Amino acid sequence: MRSVAHAMTTLAMLALCGLEAAHAQVRAKAEVSCRPAEKLQYDCIIKLANSRTSEPLSGLTLMVGADMPSMPAAHNVRPVKATEEQDKGTYRARIALEMYGDWALRLELSGAVRDRVVKLLRFESDRVGEATPTQAPGRHRH
Amino acid sequence: MDDYLIGVLSNIGVISFVALSAYLLLLTGEISFGQQGFFAIGAYAAGIATALWGWSLTTALVWGAAVSGSAALLVGVPTLRLHGLYFAIATLAFAEMVRILFELFRYQISIDGELIGPNGTDGFRNIRYIFDHNIDAFQFLLLIYSLLAATMLAFMLLERSRLGVIFRMIGQDETLAELQGIPVARYRVLAAGIAGMLAGIGGGLYAHLTTYVEPRIFDIMLGVHSLAYGLIGGLGTALGPLLGVLIDIGLLESIRALAGYRMIIFGGLVAMLLIVRPRGLLDEVVVHKIGRGWRRVALWVRRSGLKPRANNARATGGPP
Repeated sequence: MRSVAHAMTTLAMLALCGLEAAHAQVRAKAEVSCRPAEKLQYDCIIKLANSRTSEPLSGLTLMVGADMPSMPAAHNVRPVKATEEQDKGTYRARIALEMYGDWALRLELSGAVRDRVVKLLRFESDRVGEATPTQAPGRHRH
Repeated sequence: MDDYLIGVLSNIGVISFVALSAYLLLLTGEISFGQQGFFAIGAYAAGIATALWGWSLTTALVWGAAVSGSAALLVGVPTLRLHGLYFAIATLAFAEMVRILFELFRYQISIDGELIGPNGTDGFRNIRYIFDHNIDAFQFLLLIYSLLAATMLAFMLLERSRLGVIFRMIGQDETLAELQGIPVARYRVLAAGIAGMLAGIGGGLYAHLTTYVEPRIFDIMLGVHSLAYGLIGGLGTALGPLLGVLIDIGLLESIRALAGYRMIIFGGLVAMLLIVRPRGLLDEVVVHKIGRGWRRVALWVRRSGLKPRANNARATGGPP
């Protein structure tokens, strides 16, 4: 049993060591605007750009998923593939959520650029707006 | 493997750490609603280490575990005299305190013209280690499960060791344990420290898996779930909390038709199991029965394996 434990610990350490080589990557930024389509379904337009040069990022595979920050790992929506529009760096996706509320939209980029951008949005039945993070103590408005 | 499946399996693996952390305290007879606080400390500490200080993932995970373990020791000492409901409330208060502190915590550094770091209620984005180091989702999944396997083996060794017996003894009857000459306080603080470290490792992995954390993630919901995993899966073995996570995230994730009702089902399941099987599905009795059955099978295999050898020995004229 002890030798198996040592072997597993070594494996875990090797797995960690194998993940250390650094590579320079292009960082992406995104502008997301969504509007309600059907019940709990939203059409989202996503504009992707290079965060340093602001050049649009086109020709990428973009998967759009979502999870609820207030319930980590409990509600995560199966990612859908976004289709690229004619405008460079503009993508469109329809996402189906499980309930209304604040969702962290996960934009997974793959292809020439591999990155993830997270956008916090509040999805309601008639509109989509900025998420409302809990107010820190001392910052409440009276 | 499907990216979505990798995502669900990664979630199961990461949440298992905080479930094991709560389970360890349950072994010593303490109910903690505050393990999400150590999960949060581990997530922020490890995230800051890689995203702001440029540390390696290994060092960051160790650092996250050390910080959360130290915090757990600090909480463990003043709560030594508390038991049952009082201990549960104290741990919950600590976790809420941590969450509120992270709502106020701002520590950002400009990296490549972009401000990166914890920004209060807006959270901590761009923990991009896995992207900067070209680690794909499957590789990270392997890392999570390698660490989880090592943790499970450590638990199995612990349960066979004197320390494991002491933890269970304290959990069963603290007074009796003290009468046996066991320094209960010292062992309870030790259990709290190890549990904090485990939650910290889970938090570090979570931060790098999702690349984004915010204080809201670490609220009471996560604490209740991590405790419920052990109570559903069973307290007889460390596999119990893993079974609980698998039921919640794995099973309930697969019946998506129920969508928003999953939490109600989960709550109902916890309530039902607490009545029918108060120590979970894999409780001590079931584990003992499985162990006995396993030993019988092993014995039968050994005996049936010996027969041909004896026959061969007779056929070759050797000793019977």
